[in-house]
Amino acid sequence: MSTELLPQLARRPASPQDSPRPVAGAGPYTLAFRRLRRDRVSLAFGAVFLVITAMCLAAPLYAHHIAHTGPADNHVTDTVRIGGQTRDVVSPDGLPIGPTWHGRFFLGADQNGRDIAVRLLYGGRNSLEIGFVATAITMILATLTGGVAGYFRGPVDSVLARVLDLIWAFPVVLLGIALGTSLALGGINLGLFTLSGNSLLVPAVIIGFVYIPYVAKPVRGQVLALREREFVDAARLQGLGTLRILWSEVLPNLASTLIVFVPLMIANAILLEAGLSYLGAGVQPPNPSWGTMIADGIALLPSAIHLTLVPGAMLVLAVLGINVFGDGVRDALDPHSPIRLGH
Amino acid sequence: MRRKATTTTGVAAIACLAAVGIAACGSSAASTKEGGTATVLMGTAPDFLDPQEGYTTQAAEADWISYTPLLTYAHASGQGGTKLIPGLAQDLPQVSKDGKTYTVTLRKGLVYSDGKAVKASDFPATIERAIKLNWGGKSFFTNYIVGASAYDTGKSSSISGITTDDTTGQITIHLTQPYGAFDNVIAFPAAGLVPASTPKTNLSNNPPPGVGPYMITNVSPNRGWTMVKNPHFASLGIPNIPNGHLDTIKVNITSNTQSEAQQVLEDQADAFDPGDTLPASLLPQIQSKASGRFSRETIPSTFYFFLNTRTAPFNNPKARQAVNYALDRRAFVRLASGFLKPECYFLPDGITGHPTGNCPYGSKDGAPDLAKAQQLVKQAGLEGTPVTVWGQTRAPRKQYVEYYTSVLNKIGFKATPKIISDSVYFPTIGNAKTGAQTGFADWLQDFPNPSDFYLLMNAKSIQPVNNENFSNVNDPHVQSELAKLNAVPATKLDSVKGEWQSLDQYTAKQAYQAVYGSEELPKFLSTRIDFGSAVFHPLYLNDWSTWQLTG
Amino acid sequence: MARFIVRRSISTVVVLIAISIVTFLIFEAIPNGDPAARLAGRTSTPETVAAIRHTWGFDKPIYDQYLLTMKNVFTGKVISYTQQVNVLDQIKEGLPATLSLAIGAGIIWLFAGILLGVVAAARAGGFTDRALTAVAMIGVSTPVFLLGALMLYFLAYKLSWFPNGGYVPLTSNPGEWLYHMILPWLALSALFIGIYSRVLRSNVLDTMSEDFVRTARAKGLTERRILFRHVLRNSVIPIAALWGLDFAAVVGGGAILTESVFNLHGVGQYAAQSIGALDVPPVLVIVMFGSFFVVLLSAVTDVVMAFLDPRIKLL
Repeated sequence: MSTELLPQLARRPASPQDSPRPVAGAGPYTLAFRRLRRDRVSLAFGAVFLVITAMCLAAPLYAHHIAHTGPADNHVTDTVRIGGQTRDVVSPDGLPIGPTWHGRFFLGADQNGRDIAVRLLYGGRNSLEIGFVATAITMILATLTGGVAGYFRGPVDSVLARVLDLIWAFPVVLLGIALGTSLALGGINLGLFTLSGNSLLVPAVIIGFVYIPYVAKPVRGQVLALREREFVDAARLQGLGTLRILWSEVLPNLASTLIVFVPLMIANAILLEAGLSYLGAGVQPPNPSWGTMIADGIALLPSAIHLTLVPGAMLVLAVLGINVFGDGVRDALDPHSPIRLGH
Repeated sequence: MRRKATTTTGVAAIACLAAVGIAACGSSAASTKEGGTATVLMGTAPDFLDPQEGYTTQAAEADWISYTPLLTYAHASGQGGTKLIPGLAQDLPQVSKDGKTYTVTLRKGLVYSDGKAVKASDFPATIERAIKLNWGGKSFFTNYIVGASAYDTGKSSSISGITTDDTTGQITIHLTQPYGAFDNVIAFPAAGLVPASTPKTNLSNNPPPGVGPYMITNVSPNRGWTMVKNPHFASLGIPNIPNGHLDTIKVNITSNTQSEAQQVLEDQADAFDPGDTLPASLLPQIQSKASGRFSRETIPSTFYFFLNTRTAPFNNPKARQAVNYALDRRAFVRLASGFLKPECYFLPDGITGHPTGNCPYGSKDGAPDLAKAQQLVKQAGLEGTPVTVWGQTRAPRKQYVEYYTSVLNKIGFKATPKIISDSVYFPTIGNAKTGAQTGFADWLQDFPNPSDFYLLMNAKSIQPVNNENFSNVNDPHVQSELAKLNAVPATKLDSVKGEWQSLDQYTAKQAYQAVYGSEELPKFLSTRIDFGSAVFHPLYLNDWSTWQLTG
Repeated sequence: MARFIVRRSISTVVVLIAISIVTFLIFEAIPNGDPAARLAGRTSTPETVAAIRHTWGFDKPIYDQYLLTMKNVFTGKVISYTQQVNVLDQIKEGLPATLSLAIGAGIIWLFAGILLGVVAAARAGGFTDRALTAVAMIGVSTPVFLLGALMLYFLAYKLSWFPNGGYVPLTSNPGEWLYHMILPWLALSALFIGIYSRVLRSNVLDTMSEDFVRTARAKGLTERRILFRHVLRNSVIPIAALWGLDFAAVVGGGAILTESVFNLHGVGQYAAQSIGALDVPPVLVIVMFGSFFVVLLSAVTDVVMAFLDPRIKLL
């Protein structure tokens, strides 16, 4: 490839690492893993995300041993001793204490006198849990719908594709708020299982559901193409059943697409949960989540900026972490993939 | 009302001359001028500007100075504003001995803001209009005026219990039973006269003509409107109702209370609507920069948690007492950023019958007795009972409920909050099917009469939908007392003050509710409005007809 | 082309009907959402509630209610539950704010996204590229309402460089209109600039390796000429498709969060308030208009794409 005048515009500077080493039995996933290992930036951000997740999982430990209070314990009229001084957790005018940088109320308190650091960690647990569950729902249902629609085509595809279009045409946030508000009031009652309006699974199910077309459409497109490939024909000629073909021929080829989608969907789910909670249609009190904490903080903005900055920073860090890591995964799996983080 | 305003300024002027240098002197003794415009910012739009539909304070602020009823209230702050005075009527009504017939005569020569004459027959038409339009308080008419209920259900085409004579201007109202507070009922802005020909449809976007110092014009729904002076009012010479100093008052709906408060602080707008919550974050600034134009005004209101006596655990009196022992009212004051006065009795300060004795379950200003509360819950064997605590999304009510939930958990219950949207809140907890055990409730006086508050503990008010007696109080002693006390005419209220106090102390001991305070509202104006003479009415908040610009 | 229009029109109608049914059902399925009790007001009697239920038709079977509501929507007579005002009038009042926000932000994010993407591609691998990618990633990872709230705090409240939210109509004061729209435009664009710049960067880099570029270089064209005349044209095509869909999504309801934070009183904010108040008529109307807009714009986008790229066939 001639690259004289603008060498930077070359797709890839020739370098020894890029040519696959002739190692016996190194499959595409091993190669991908090695490429990922060399991508320090993505690994670093991935580590950030893991650290945040670990911290949030350790929430009960922090609450019990360091902060000595739970996420829902109100301390409106209590006082706290910091460095010899006794201070009100919440002033008589209703202003909560700022960060104390000590064990109790490390990052300050909110209007109800609750420890922000404790709520941050518990809230993180909730936001992350919703992110993971929603992503699982999206990926499983999208793979099923997209796969079935793409493979069977015909009337099945028509119906499924129209349903996907329908969900997609519904403005995402509106659908989320509408479902969130009505289900928060009444819960989900489908005979087989019931969820109370307060359950965390309600926003998880809603977010998971809303993003199905986002993944299902590309999956459907890919399956439509895959099904015409030779190896599928070969499998069919061999007399393998449809289910077997889907499982052993189609799915593995979808795998890299699906793997690339996972971090992206986790990021989207966390962001959508924050948005829904801001509008009151997401996580319900008293469960904390980063979104509800930011919403409460915005209401008290000018005088107690820590109420907004703390959960906001945590949320952005976590989402950034998984986004950058997700990019790295995409790069590693598919070197011909167009989107890269600069080296 | 001009006379009263001048007197206040006069007194203030003397006080200032006597004590030179007091900061408060600056505004009130300064000269004021006639005319001009003021801008009011409101965070919540009125439910309806149509006088026969409006039921919120935001609506009342506009309606009561545009639609004067037969009777109205004195344009004064504090207790003085609870005094009933004749409005469009010549005098206070003549009440028959049995308390069931009220007679008034319309003032002569009255005209509406469009110049047309006011007739006595406009009064029953106005009441019919309020009923037809399903005004939120229409039960006050249909429960007491003969024939009003029949009109409501369509069985009759007019209210038989009201007879009028257009030539003499006499109006006679027959009641189904004696009702002491009926004078207050005729003083509602919803009973503010409009022409009989006014269509019985929602006219909020183009309100009908009325009799009052101002009229509502230029309505942009959810965005605002303008009050302009009614050119025909001053010549009517109705005593004790101010003619109004300002030429126009522009009202803007903003929904961002932060910017609302900031604009008033920086003198870019003239008033912060008292119906909104002043952001706690701006309080320190307001108190330092604007101390001469900011005050907290108590209005007779009760903020409480209902304790449903029909379901567990609050059908057990020990559980209810435990709640009353455990609540720390100081916490609510903080959550309200100081805009709450701690109370424990159901009848608030400012209403005749408010008990002055000690609270039955610990001091309202001091620390709660958690140990006693926990003990009571244990004794009743109710530890671990699941309780759903209902609340509204609006701040600080959501915060009140979150605090209350944590208290319930501390004393041994398993409580979880259920916060729902404001607009569906009361219909939800007022629906018997919900079976709400406990939750937020409040009551602002409809009129300054204890019978208004005791509606909420009257067994007769219990209904399967839109119930207001959330605790489902059904107590024979309460019923027998109410039967006596509700019949006492509003003008003779002081004579039964002692009985009302005893009743209120009784219900407090029964712990039917967990009362924690009375709301305080902000009177917060710009430097352009004369603060001292601006009336803050206990019912209708900012009295725009008393505002004048500083010179 | 005619076939395309007919097919799309039919599917649009089907989608809209389906969406209206789904929206209706979402709200009808809630317990305690009884609008009659709400409309009757706090101290009303059961008789009043029943009367209201009858007047508004809530006692009719659900499909009757649906048909009645749809009829009202098409005759323009929809009345909201909370304030009993005409929904279409309210939407018309809020439309200028929403359109100002969407169009302004759309233009900004399109051009800024392309610009930043090209710069990053031209300096691929270098510091500028990495910096721009970092900015893009942060833009993609920050919720718009957080960004908006922080902007208001620092730039409006603390520094007073900008007004504290609110909307001034273009017709009443163009200067103020612009002044009030800058922060909302920036907040809303941040996310899309992040996405677009990265998509464009990768498209440019991809295109640079295609055959026709090699040919153009062999022919002796300057790199700049190649970049702007040939590469960009090709790289921008997928962006155009993306822009059409994103713009439609923003107008259709994606602007809700921005409108709420900046208090613009647009259609999105009205929708959010109505949903919170369980006020079905406005939500129904807004959702239908929003979806219609999305579907319409996606059809228009397909046509434009087919025009720009002859390889694409209209289906």
